[in-house]
Amino acid sequence: MNSLKTLWTVMRKELKDLFRDRRTVFLSLALGPILLPLLLVGVFTLTENRIRDLSEKPLDLPVIGKDNAPNLIAWLEGQNVTIKDPPKDLAAAIADQKEDVILRIGDDYAEKWRKSEPAPVEVISDSTRQNAEVPVKRVQALLKAYSGQVGALRLLARGVSPSAAAPLQVAETDMASEEAKRGRLVGVLLPYLLILSAFMGGAYLIMDATAGERERQSMEPLLATPAARGAIVSGKVAAACAVALLSLAFTLLMFKATAVISPTVGRQMSVSFATIAMLLLILMPMVFIGTTLLTYLSATAKSMKEAQSHMSYLMLLPMLPSIILMVNPVKTQLWQFAVPFLAQNQLILKVVRGEAVVPMQWATYLGASFSLAAIMWFLAVRRYRGEQLAISG
Amino acid sequence: MIALRNLHKTFKTKKSEVKAVSGVDFTAADGQITGLLGPNGAGKTTTLRMLYTLMQPDVGQVLVDGVDVSADPEAARRALGVLPDARGVYKRLTARENIAYFGTLHGLDKATIQARTERLVQALNMQDFIDRRTEGFSQGQRTKTAIARALVHDPRNVVLDEPTNGLDVMTTRGLREFLRQLRGEGRCVVFSSHIMQEVAALCDRIVIIAKGTVVAAGTADELRAHYGEDNLEDAFVKAIGSEEGLLA
Repeated sequence: MNSLKTLWTVMRKELKDLFRDRRTVFLSLALGPILLPLLLVGVFTLTENRIRDLSEKPLDLPVIGKDNAPNLIAWLEGQNVTIKDPPKDLAAAIADQKEDVILRIGDDYAEKWRKSEPAPVEVISDSTRQNAEVPVKRVQALLKAYSGQVGALRLLARGVSPSAAAPLQVAETDMASEEAKRGRLVGVLLPYLLILSAFMGGAYLIMDATAGERERQSMEPLLATPAARGAIVSGKVAAACAVALLSLAFTLLMFKATAVISPTVGRQMSVSFATIAMLLLILMPMVFIGTTLLTYLSATAKSMKEAQSHMSYLMLLPMLPSIILMVNPVKTQLWQFAVPFLAQNQLILKVVRGEAVVPMQWATYLGASFSLAAIMWFLAVRRYRGEQLAISG
Repeated sequence: MIALRNLHKTFKTKKSEVKAVSGVDFTAADGQITGLLGPNGAGKTTTLRMLYTLMQPDVGQVLVDGVDVSADPEAARRALGVLPDARGVYKRLTARENIAYFGTLHGLDKATIQARTERLVQALNMQDFIDRRTEGFSQGQRTKTAIARALVHDPRNVVLDEPTNGLDVMTTRGLREFLRQLRGEGRCVVFSSHIMQEVAALCDRIVIIAKGTVVAAGTADELRAHYGEDNLEDAFVKAIGSEEGLLA
């Protein structure tokens, strides 16, 4: 019998077997597509609300020595700031996150102010606290504005134009496209989630069809048939890939649906059908790489449990590029499109940011990743030829 | 016809080498039932695995219908119907689907599979459960399904590794009848067992294996005569040189 027919027979049998197991089908096909978009909606809504809250709500500001600068205090109160009494223990209040930011007005503030010398104020905060970032920036901006206003008035009072003290007029132009700005948040979360579901999407089926089949003692009779072993593995891999791709397609369509329904997601990412098609193309090699890698690993495992123990570190692999890029951001270069996980990460970001991927990058990516998948497939087939695989006990 | 010529197989573990089979040599003729008799761990399963091409012998040769199996394993698998020691069935498929899957892997078309399945269902008495999913099958139902799936391609040679293991008396009797039927059709039937009575009741020729080699071979009468015992069991004990593995 020819190998293609064997492949098709094995693939159909594995899919039939899987689809009769309702709970597993639900977990592998429906759960991801429902959970991932929900997760994104939740995260986006949270962040947007927090930023809005922090920049528009009245800012609670504990001030030490507020009697030293009644004018400044009065001005701040006019700028949507509620002045509070300072906590007793400064360090503890910051450490316990009871206060995000505290303002200290120096005791010699009034004296220096009168002499027209720089009067001391101090902004106290913990720069590693992410949630303090916005309030600190607000306080700094307010102080800078106050300082600028008073400075200009003083110059005017001395008959000098305030512009003499401003030799430069610095303007900032942000070249980031609208899509890129929207995609900033998506940048961390989305690639990881998508790469992970591509990488592991066929995991259950392939582990069950390899290590599980061996554990249930049906591998030996299967391998005693004249069907070519390469065709048998390929059929199992094909079935797992089909399930993973189906699950991915559902997930992406659900993103589309949530983007239509929920304005927060719609603001954060562009989800056109062209985007979905491109994401699928980017993730397809990942599906093959993940499935063949798992086939290779499961073929040596004696039981399903042993095969599943590989999952714990495999789950971390797709996170690596995100972590490395976070500590060491690099410019996009062609070689990156040949590195698994990093390549998918960069490409997904590009697509979500609405940037064009040039043909050279596509060629590098698809060439490198499909070659890797082919190598993994070859190794998995070789494992299947081993004597040990057939023996269950 | 199946011929095994001087088979050797050694397994390497981390610490030591285990000689599982060292010099097994016998011939099983068409139209006969040949029984491999031996205590647990004598090397029966390893011998059979080399016979049905899942293991490569270190030394020696296996001929199925005159063809060397290491030269053309695919042809050998086509000519053999194998019930391995491992007889797992796919529990989410029905017995019929299990059989059809293997039939398709053997390259048979639907009509042939259907016809052969019907014949095997009659012969093995599987009418009650053929269209049920195999989850929850009894040991006997599972074994029957596994045998039917091993024979769906109508092989000339049938190899069964301890086929009656775990079966009740009625099922065992039915299975013996089925093996005689296969012999009547002129097939070469080889089966292994560690149960003396079974081999005595069924086999035209008995091959006694102990510690990886053939210690005696012949008809039941020849073995009794050779060891000067009236009782086959005593002859068997003399042949393997100990009483281990008899009580099962």
